[in-house]
Amino acid sequence: MQIQVLCYGATRRHVDGDVIELALAEPATVADALSALSSVSTELAELLKQCAVAIGDELVRRNHPLHAGDALALLPPVAGG
Amino acid sequence: MDFNRIQTTPLSLDALLAGTESPECGALTVFSGTVRDHHEGRSVLRLKYTSHVPLAERMIREIERATCAKFDVPLCRVVHRIGELGIGESAILAIVRSGHRAEAFAALKYLVDQVKHRVPIWKEEFYADGSSAFVTGCCIADDADDASHAGDHDHAHHHHAAHTHAHTEA
Repeated sequence: MQIQVLCYGATRRHVDGDVIELALAEPATVADALSALSSVSTELAELLKQCAVAIGDELVRRNHPLHAGDALALLPPVAGG
Repeated sequence: MDFNRIQTTPLSLDALLAGTESPECGALTVFSGTVRDHHEGRSVLRLKYTSHVPLAERMIREIERATCAKFDVPLCRVVHRIGELGIGESAILAIVRSGHRAEAFAALKYLVDQVKHRVPIWKEEFYADGSSAFVTGCCIADDADDASHAGDHDHAHHHHAAHTHAHTEA
């Protein structure tokens, strides 16, 4: 299946552009998408260990099943204020 | 009250306070977080805040409601600014109204801590030497590999060396 990955915060420093198109074998979970992204670089792989993932305005867990066309937001550690 | 919690223009305390007066409230506490000109010994020229806006909007509203319930106070409000901010500009404004000051102070601290530690907002600092770095903050995934401190805690934020990049700007 094809999904989109939307990069936020420091994850943008490890990829070209803010959106990544990712092809995954079915069935796939959030953990499978993170595993595929970890091959981009060791720096991104380290940061992904600390990332939350959202679909729409909902946080989803690593065992959440993915569907074709999903857009996953990568949310690294937050620092507002 | 329906207004944007994440805003792209300078924050207004008057706007945040509008319509919140209540004859039963004897306390109003206000917090404004403003942009500092230094961080860990480095000279900071400006900040850039970014956010996952739909999730941040929903989470700030939930934190306001949870804070009201936890401290039994009638009113909490928070707005956070995103985009580029100069030194001295306000990045966050928070207010609490309550019957007495003790719960107003306690609720305000909790409210601001929760927003800083849980809401998807990122702070990028730009330094005098032309480099920039994301301030490393709090993991918000409760099932991440490194999530032992996700959520409710109090700590200093540090830079992660791997996120420091040289930056050339016009």
